[in-house]
Amino acid sequence: MRPAHPGSRRARGLSRRHFALALPSALLASGCAAPHRGTGRPGDPVVLTLLSHYASGELKRALQGPVDEWNATHDRVKVRTKAVEFTDLLTTFMVRQAAGQGADILHPYCLWNGQLVRAGVLRPAPPEHAEEIRRGYSPAAVGAASVGGRVYGYPTETQTYALYYNKRLLREAGLDGPPRTWRELEETAYRTARRDRYGNTLVQGFGLSTVDDSTTVGQTLALLSAAGGRFVSADGRSTAIDAPAGRAVFDLEHRLVAAGASDPGVNVYQAFPSGQVTMVISAGWWTGSLKPLMGRDYRDVGVAPVPLPDADGRRATLSTGFMLGVNTASEHPREAWEFLRWLNAGKVRVPGAGKGGSVTRMSALQVSVGSLTGRADDMRTLLGKGGAVGKGGAGGDPNLRPFLDALAYAVPEPNVPGAQQAKTLLRKNIEALWTGQQSAGEALRTIRRQVDQEVSRSW
Amino acid sequence: MVNALTPEAAERAAATPRSARPAVGARGRTRHRQAVVAYLFLAPALLFFAVFLILPLGFALVLSMSHWAGFRLGDIDPVGPDNFTGLFADGSTFLAPILTNTLLFALGTVALALAGSVIVATCIDRLRYQGLWRTLYFLPIVTTVVAVGNVWKYMYEPGGLVNGVLNAAGLGSVAFLQDPGTALPSVVVVQAWASAGSAILVLTAGLKSVPESYYEAAALDGAGPVTVFWRITLPLLRPSLLFVCVTQFLTGLQSFALIIVMTQGGPGDATNVAALEMYRQAFSYGDWGTASAAAFVLFVVVLLVTLVQLWIFRRKGEDA
Amino acid sequence: MNRRRFPWLSYLVVVTGAVLTVVPFLDMVMTSFKGPGEAGTLPYRFLPEAFDLSNYRAAVDQLDLPVLFRNSVVATALITGSVLLTSSLAGYALAKLRFPGRDLVFRLVLSTMMFPPFLFFIPHFLILVHWPLAGGNDLTGRGGAGLTVSIVALAMPFLVSSFGIFLTRQFMVSIPDEVLEAARIDGAGEFTVWWRIVLPQTTPVLVTLGLLTFVDAWNEYIWALLVSTANPDVMTLPVGIQLLQDHVDPTRTMPVVMAGLVLSVLPVLVLFLLLQKYYIRGVMLSGLK
Repeated sequence: MRPAHPGSRRARGLSRRHFALALPSALLASGCAAPHRGTGRPGDPVVLTLLSHYASGELKRALQGPVDEWNATHDRVKVRTKAVEFTDLLTTFMVRQAAGQGADILHPYCLWNGQLVRAGVLRPAPPEHAEEIRRGYSPAAVGAASVGGRVYGYPTETQTYALYYNKRLLREAGLDGPPRTWRELEETAYRTARRDRYGNTLVQGFGLSTVDDSTTVGQTLALLSAAGGRFVSADGRSTAIDAPAGRAVFDLEHRLVAAGASDPGVNVYQAFPSGQVTMVISAGWWTGSLKPLMGRDYRDVGVAPVPLPDADGRRATLSTGFMLGVNTASEHPREAWEFLRWLNAGKVRVPGAGKGGSVTRMSALQVSVGSLTGRADDMRTLLGKGGAVGKGGAGGDPNLRPFLDALAYAVPEPNVPGAQQAKTLLRKNIEALWTGQQSAGEALRTIRRQVDQEVSRSW
Repeated sequence: MVNALTPEAAERAAATPRSARPAVGARGRTRHRQAVVAYLFLAPALLFFAVFLILPLGFALVLSMSHWAGFRLGDIDPVGPDNFTGLFADGSTFLAPILTNTLLFALGTVALALAGSVIVATCIDRLRYQGLWRTLYFLPIVTTVVAVGNVWKYMYEPGGLVNGVLNAAGLGSVAFLQDPGTALPSVVVVQAWASAGSAILVLTAGLKSVPESYYEAAALDGAGPVTVFWRITLPLLRPSLLFVCVTQFLTGLQSFALIIVMTQGGPGDATNVAALEMYRQAFSYGDWGTASAAAFVLFVVVLLVTLVQLWIFRRKGEDA
Repeated sequence: MNRRRFPWLSYLVVVTGAVLTVVPFLDMVMTSFKGPGEAGTLPYRFLPEAFDLSNYRAAVDQLDLPVLFRNSVVATALITGSVLLTSSLAGYALAKLRFPGRDLVFRLVLSTMMFPPFLFFIPHFLILVHWPLAGGNDLTGRGGAGLTVSIVALAMPFLVSSFGIFLTRQFMVSIPDEVLEAARIDGAGEFTVWWRIVLPQTTPVLVTLGLLTFVDAWNEYIWALLVSTANPDVMTLPVGIQLLQDHVDPTRTMPVVMAGLVLSVLPVLVLFLLLQKYYIRGVMLSGLK
């Protein structure tokens, strides 16, 4: 790509001019030379890159701990972590893969597994690893990490949804406990909601918030599961939300917004910690960020299972999760799986967790930041009686209990190809419902039309 | 100034050097040498156009008729017009609301920026310190869209400037970017705010070219300022207005940087536009075929809108 | 008509408009000085309680400012330099040299301005990824990361500007041919004529073009966002500052974002205020902003 250099024979001796013309080509050439993967010399260690959304704060430190330990004890294979915010994670996977710079080890949200497998990004787990995974984790976690019956990675963070509530606001309204049924949930919401004379919300009874997928879709799907419904049919080829259960959830949400007990425009992640929301359904990870954010006020926070339509219904909620998988483009898949087994399946002894208590490094890591993994035995060891384990002291938090209990009955998110688009379409229609642009019936019909078109596309 | 750059004027200008010709004897050799030199001078630009214009056009066309996840070139799977039919299938959100939003966004921006800039430009034309005013109005143009988007996003918040002013005036708060009814208009205001500066500049230049004698003649006839504005100023501004209209429509139909910064297309699809959808389909969902098809559909829309404007302005010109 | 008949009304309109234009900038500066818990609370206050510099410290701490600045500067310099060079070369050929196909080339240049940039967005990325013999690619452009590993990826799609060629050509047409002929008769080659005679006379339009290109390149966001997603080492200032935002609670981080924005907007504003004469003339000349 050398720019044309007309008249150079006549222009000899004018070095400045040569330089000006040569500069772009020199820069181009330097770009061409830049290597990006290891040195490739035989004696040098293999360097594996790991891309996750553990980008800052506690999460970043928690993951870095075991990685540093691995690097200190293994000479032949080194691991380097890279991270982006969760909102950028899928785009980063896709763009870096397209640019030939995909990381060796990926930490996808399980919802994307269908898309990543279809696009040829994820490598199926070798048989011995797949076996290990099937044996060690709860069925919901294994299901989320599998596509078409094949396992693609080690489940890591597993989130279940439950009801967060503010004890102080309940007390002030003369209520002594969290709601157990939808009727109680509505009454509690109406009794605690308050607005100022300009119409600014002071306290939301039930926090329906359009901030992100978790607040919008997560809440709705948790309620839908509790009502016995599901979003996508078992084979993943059509929607199932346009049914009585879906109708009941949408009607409930619509009533809450219409009566002014919910204000979808308010950022609930900001409003709940400042005591402006009485109840909200969210995932377990939130306890970890509420604690430092609220300080002493955290003692006002309580967690209860997702309320059911009727007092005698069967408990259910939504579970979501992440997994660690290996890139098809990785040049060192064997080393990558070896590291993943060490991190996710190799057990380490836990001091103070009773006699013989040992858990995986991943379980210890997740619990230390207030999360869970799909390994029920580890969770019992870490969160069981006197389980004051984990650097963050999260083990002692009674608020984690409902999330742990939910592991047994939670329903995983669908992970078919196009699941992210389906979820986005669902979110858009829920937002349209909450903001009064669509009635519950219209929203359900539109979702069915749009999601059916999306998931039925030929590839 | 502006009319001087129309293609016809450019053609006329291009004809001028023909008058000066070298002596007949040396002509053949000189000509040959000049041609070689000329193409050497043009080589960087032509090479660039080949690699970054013609090649991409072909690439985009192939992709728009294929399924591809974006990774291995060998995996490009030709499927014919599937991607286009998918965009317009029942249940697809591309036509409504995405394409509708795109048109509303562009139309709203142009209408607002044009109305505002015509008013301000005619007023500036009567004042002193024109340089100062122009500089102030120009600040948004030289500011990165990340700054513009974030500042306004924050001003629209419940605790931000706009709601502060509303509350101080005794009015209720508005959830500008969170309410789907107000989100698109709110973003349109920002885009118009950010682009009015250059429109004002072009229009003041256009006003300067209106001869003072026209106004004097109108004053002699006893025409009021409103009549003068409609009968003299506006018709004479037509070339500048056309220019502003066409360029702002082009920008409005394809810009999504402001939307990425302010709303990410939400709430729901309320501010989702075609170019943003194209970006997402390719780089988040790995559906490069649909993304390329969407780009071509948008291209056709851009072309149609531009032609319609040229046609309208030309017809208006014949009427006058 | 007496143009100064209603100056008070005009003043009212112009001043109101100017206030509306400037207030968001002032709000940005004021917010950047607001302390923790002060921004975003009800009721709204324009002035900060105390001019708190901690947001600037936070922005400097959280951002790798030297790297972001370097990337922005290198990309902007590459684009501006290349646009000036290629525009003046091509503009000269189209304005002052006689050769077969000149009209065709000129028409081609004009017609490229009709294609909207988004149409090329996806293929440009692919072309950079599959650039032969770059970033580990083989001759067929496969196997590696292509030019996306390099900072030139930020600049590549903007290295030549049809508008720049057009603008310089229009300006060069008005240079008298006699001057050029005289130099040629003295034995100067076309390159020397271009360098010694044409460029000096074209300086004003080149300053204008340079400024327009500089501001656009410095502020470019979408392409930089895509390239930085592929390779964070080449992240530019606008992309980096957008990352300061906390996704869970954006209002909390707003003052820090504003501080970062003030830092990144300042260089361009200063340059614009110093050289606005050229810039404004450029926009008037073109209308193409």
